[in-house]
Amino acid sequence: MEKILRKKDFPEWLKKLNGYSLYAPVKDGDLWNYELVSNPENINLNHSNTILSPKKIIFPQREVFLEFSTNDKGRLQVKENLPEEKKTVILGVRPCDAKAVTLTDKVFDGDIIDSYYNKRRKSAFLVGLACNEPPSENCFCLSVGGSPYSKEGLDILMTDLGNKYYIESLTEKGNELLNSAPNLFLEATAKDKKDSEKIHLESEKKLKRHIKDTAKIPAILKNMFDSPFWDEESMSCIRCGICTYLCPTCHCFDINDEVISTSPLKGKRVRTWDTCQFPDFTMHSSGHNPRPDKASRLRQRVLHKFLYFVERYNDYMCVGCGRCVSKCPVGIDIVEILNKVRDYES
Amino acid sequence: MADNFEPKIVAFLCKWCSSAGSDLAGVSRMEYPPNAVPITVMCSGSVSPLYILSALNKGADGVLVSGCHPGDCHYIKGNLYARRRLYLVKKILEFVGLEPQRFQMSWISAAEGTKYTQVIKDYVNQVKAIGPQTKLRRNL
Amino acid sequence: MVKLEELKEAVKNILDQGKVKYVIAYKTNPNSLRTVPFFIKDSNDVDQITWNPLCVYNLARFLVDEKRRKAREKNPDTRPVGVVVKGCDSRAVNVLLQENYIKRQDVYIIGVSCEKTGVIDEKKLTKKLNGRRAQKVEFGPDSQFIVTTRNGQEKISAAEILADRCLECQANFPVVYDILLGEETKRKPEKPFQSVEKIESLSQKEKWAFWQKELGKCIRCYACRSACPMCYCDECVVDTINFAVTAETTAEEKAQKIKWVEKSPLLSENFIYHLVRALHLAGRCVDCGECERACPFDIPLRFLNKKLEKEAKELFGYKVGFDPDQPPLLSSFKDEDPEDFIW
Repeated sequence: MEKILRKKDFPEWLKKLNGYSLYAPVKDGDLWNYELVSNPENINLNHSNTILSPKKIIFPQREVFLEFSTNDKGRLQVKENLPEEKKTVILGVRPCDAKAVTLTDKVFDGDIIDSYYNKRRKSAFLVGLACNEPPSENCFCLSVGGSPYSKEGLDILMTDLGNKYYIESLTEKGNELLNSAPNLFLEATAKDKKDSEKIHLESEKKLKRHIKDTAKIPAILKNMFDSPFWDEESMSCIRCGICTYLCPTCHCFDINDEVISTSPLKGKRVRTWDTCQFPDFTMHSSGHNPRPDKASRLRQRVLHKFLYFVERYNDYMCVGCGRCVSKCPVGIDIVEILNKVRDYES
Repeated sequence: MADNFEPKIVAFLCKWCSSAGSDLAGVSRMEYPPNAVPITVMCSGSVSPLYILSALNKGADGVLVSGCHPGDCHYIKGNLYARRRLYLVKKILEFVGLEPQRFQMSWISAAEGTKYTQVIKDYVNQVKAIGPQTKLRRNL
Repeated sequence: MVKLEELKEAVKNILDQGKVKYVIAYKTNPNSLRTVPFFIKDSNDVDQITWNPLCVYNLARFLVDEKRRKAREKNPDTRPVGVVVKGCDSRAVNVLLQENYIKRQDVYIIGVSCEKTGVIDEKKLTKKLNGRRAQKVEFGPDSQFIVTTRNGQEKISAAEILADRCLECQANFPVVYDILLGEETKRKPEKPFQSVEKIESLSQKEKWAFWQKELGKCIRCYACRSACPMCYCDECVVDTINFAVTAETTAEEKAQKIKWVEKSPLLSENFIYHLVRALHLAGRCVDCGECERACPFDIPLRFLNKKLEKEAKELFGYKVGFDPDQPPLLSSFKDEDPEDFIW
């Protein structure tokens, strides 16, 4: 379904969505971040990109799995803490971040279903915003099978045509959102469609970073496991973990028991984000650590994204959002690394 | 503040002076409020800032650290290190907006049973007046 | 003025003479035009070295990596490592020397003076340029920076884009070095701790509101800890439970493996982590600003450490990082240490 929504009607539509939880990019200092919004008047979609992707909503940093306690007879009781299926609309999702959701779906909602992720995913309505220009100078979505107007993972794609949005509803969920305020959505003309297509193609040309021949890279990486290349590239890494925490596709986690009291026993089993870049990520209980140095950890990050995930799921585990490049404190650049890999001769 | 608020105080007492002082108060049958949970440490100098922060994190309304008077430390200098380190703890807790009354330090010798009871009475009253500690308290 | 050619010459010399294993300096990445740390082993690469106002990084951090690397090697090369340091970075090296983490003969210090200005806060520069990309940034005369964009050159006054810590700089030229480039021009700020004093002047409620908002953003990525040269503990107090207990673990070590802080980024846990880190850095933090620069959420972490630096100076007369022979702050005491807070 293709429609037009005038920008002045945008807050009205959001008000009609009062039965849904609404997340939108909110400015905090110089950064944009997804926040739960109660007053739709304040939402405008002129953000570049958020510091954390919608991953923080569908796969939150802290997820309580279950609560355990002992009753007065000393018997252990366990209560599962599945998230309630509250319909949640996430606005202003960039196509790269939406594609990232489809990639984490393969892990958590594919052969094996993670019920916590699944419930949040089912209740999420992703309303995307095409990129009229790259939100960051480090965007490279075209090099990893994405685009500034990709529809993958989205329920609705909005394109900014100036004083109105070109709306494409892509799924049943998208239709449901449009039907909440049917009189606000006007018919899209052929010219509107052409205008949006023009914007899409123009935005492709504006991307500044590219990886050449990404398709050749997995095979080259397969032979680079023992290469000293990783020592060279990881020299300036300070293993801070920012690249993985901000990445929309990274999904490693840790599970801990948080004990509230020991007698009577009461506590929660909690899942939190974790990162392969921390030195103790692969620490075995024997004391052996298969990835004791930065080189092996950098190699792991690149190979996971561009070899192992490709072999398993037939897609790169990277959507080209550029957050890791922009926010790395020492300027380690995955685009540069991959271009060097492509030219690498062992 | 509810009138029946009874603060939970965690008191780190050095074994050789302050803890002995508290024992003297007990043996002499002196009365003082039961709000303080005493933890004997070998020396006030062995009290790490982590203990104080952890006590507040686990729900203490106030933390008291008590050691020997300067010059009388069983390990000669432990309390002199504590004097520096714990002043910094107090300063940073105030800096982040915690009430300054949440952390207190005192010198109590083994013979000062009376002083011990007085310190506990005064500190409990002080913490009672400012209410429960919620800022650093862990809420899982 | 620090002459870039002199810097390149100095690095080339020590590499050619085999005096050092490699040199840690700065270079400009030709693709992103970002100034990044540069590890030079081959003296033919010295042309890539740069020295400009974007050289913000504290390269002393990589001396910690070097020590860890040596510890893993069977027959390590025992030659020193060369490192280019600014005034604040040299104080960090002094603290590492003071604590015997590195030996003086393990490091060859090439000092560069910031002279009358300092280095730029990249975030402030991005905001000032409003979307235009800086292709080149140079030190200019009269406390100005010369910024080249595709629109040409423009002069920006230092006060607008200097890193906040440079406004409170206590050592604008290196205090320890093997060679020094640039002049030892003294520039002491009038009020060295004014940023901290601003927060101190808030009421208790306002202070709490400020820190609750800022530390509420923290996602515990530990970038601040990783970026800090002084956070070199192999087992950090927040990670104690992650480390293995093997047959060789002593009873004392086992007793230390306590879960002090939960891994979840709850507000209370974030506070405990940051307060403990600040206290562990008391008398050791030199305000290089790396923690704040690394933080992806722009949390003003400098203030916590700076507050303790101020207290160390005012209460105990302790200056951090000027003298590698002075005892550490918390391993020493004076008879006159104040005890007005003690009953």
